[in-house]
Amino acid sequence: MITMNDQMTLFNLISKEIKRDIVCYAFGGNAMMFYGYKDETKDIDILFEHEEERTEFIRVIKQLGYSETSALKIYIPEKLRDPYRPLMFKTEESRFDLFVKKIFKTLLSPKMKEDFFAIHEFKNNNTLTVFVLRKEHLVLLKAITERDRDFEDIITITKKDKSFNWQYFIDEVIWQFQHGDSWVLYDTEKMLLELKKYIFIEEKYQKQLYGAVKIEEKIEKKKSNNPHNNKKLK
Amino acid sequence: MDNIIIMVNEQLLAQLEGLHTIETAMQITGLTKQSTLNLLSTLKKEQYLTTTGGGKQKRLYKITQLKQLPRSPGMFDLLNKYSPHMKLNPWYDHQVHGKYSVEDALIDAIKTKSFRVILVSLCLFSHITDWRKLHRLAKQHDCIQQVGALYDVARLYFRTKYFLFKSERKKDWIKLTQLEKKNFPSISEKWHVYIPFNEHDIRGEIV
Repeated sequence: MITMNDQMTLFNLISKEIKRDIVCYAFGGNAMMFYGYKDETKDIDILFEHEEERTEFIRVIKQLGYSETSALKIYIPEKLRDPYRPLMFKTEESRFDLFVKKIFKTLLSPKMKEDFFAIHEFKNNNTLTVFVLRKEHLVLLKAITERDRDFEDIITITKKDKSFNWQYFIDEVIWQFQHGDSWVLYDTEKMLLELKKYIFIEEKYQKQLYGAVKIEEKIEKKKSNNPHNNKKLK
Repeated sequence: MDNIIIMVNEQLLAQLEGLHTIETAMQITGLTKQSTLNLLSTLKKEQYLTTTGGGKQKRLYKITQLKQLPRSPGMFDLLNKYSPHMKLNPWYDHQVHGKYSVEDALIDAIKTKSFRVILVSLCLFSHITDWRKLHRLAKQHDCIQQVGALYDVARLYFRTKYFLFKSERKKDWIKLTQLEKKNFPSISEKWHVYIPFNEHDIRGEIV
């Protein structure tokens, strides 16, 4: 487990060693520490936009004593088959889950890029910029990753934060679904059903999810009935 | 047992959330003054509480359910420090761990493309000491036109040192914000930059 201070020291050390500027997005337990939801965490989940940035980041954390580990017992088998599964590096105290471009099937959406909670810039010879995502995005990504403690974290966020914007969350889920994330609705619905045992969530949000599926089915039907499309397919 | 203590703390935090004096905190907790002070002290150690005032002023306790973590100053902190009248309410938390100067803040402000942030950033020109650094950073971030245009506008209203920004004008017009307005036409034409704010904005808000 690493604390907030450890995390800051770690990022500072990394920023001293990197040979180029790196921009990344924090969304796991480490992001929750930036909010003050948590005092310590084991997972440091980071998303990069470019493979070169992840490669440079890995080079530095290997110097700091992290070694590559398998994702076998951490993620469910379906997720492990995904081409966008993370590379994982660990020491005894903490573990980095490093994603590039996507978190499994989930994209780094325009809203995630524009509307974030915080920016932490670690300036040394080069700069390591860590964007901390909004809490709604954290919950969405935790619903997707489905690891042991992710659901506990979701409860913590939604219970502690009264200003949690469910509509914003659902809009993002639907955006992800419309942009090719076929798992997101299933994962979210499963999470909402479980979460309803702990907190009050209005039913209209679930209905919006089902609505998104119906619209998608209609579009699919139209596509299959359209003779032009069929010709193209032939 | 541990769980019970945590639950009590969470309930208490929920009840106490907000600004308090010692008297209001005593009312809510129903404890004596000394016990309440002890409780507030514990909350402060656990980073749920910060204090303001004291001395001649009444001491105020700000209590939140989430920890109030120590911050490193960022762009908004510098802008608010050097802007005498107009203060910004940050919509995200910007923190820089390491050296962060007025020159860096000015470049970051331009990159936000926000009307208010850029308007307030005009104040920073009076506090710039390392003009070469500003020039280098502007080149590095490809915003020398914007910096040059803002510098020329700032010189009209603030005491700033003379520095010759090389006018490496490009053919393309650049927008500081979403607005395509050519206020201060001569400066706008010189740098090929749309300047969104006018004299009234500057006089009314920041001078």
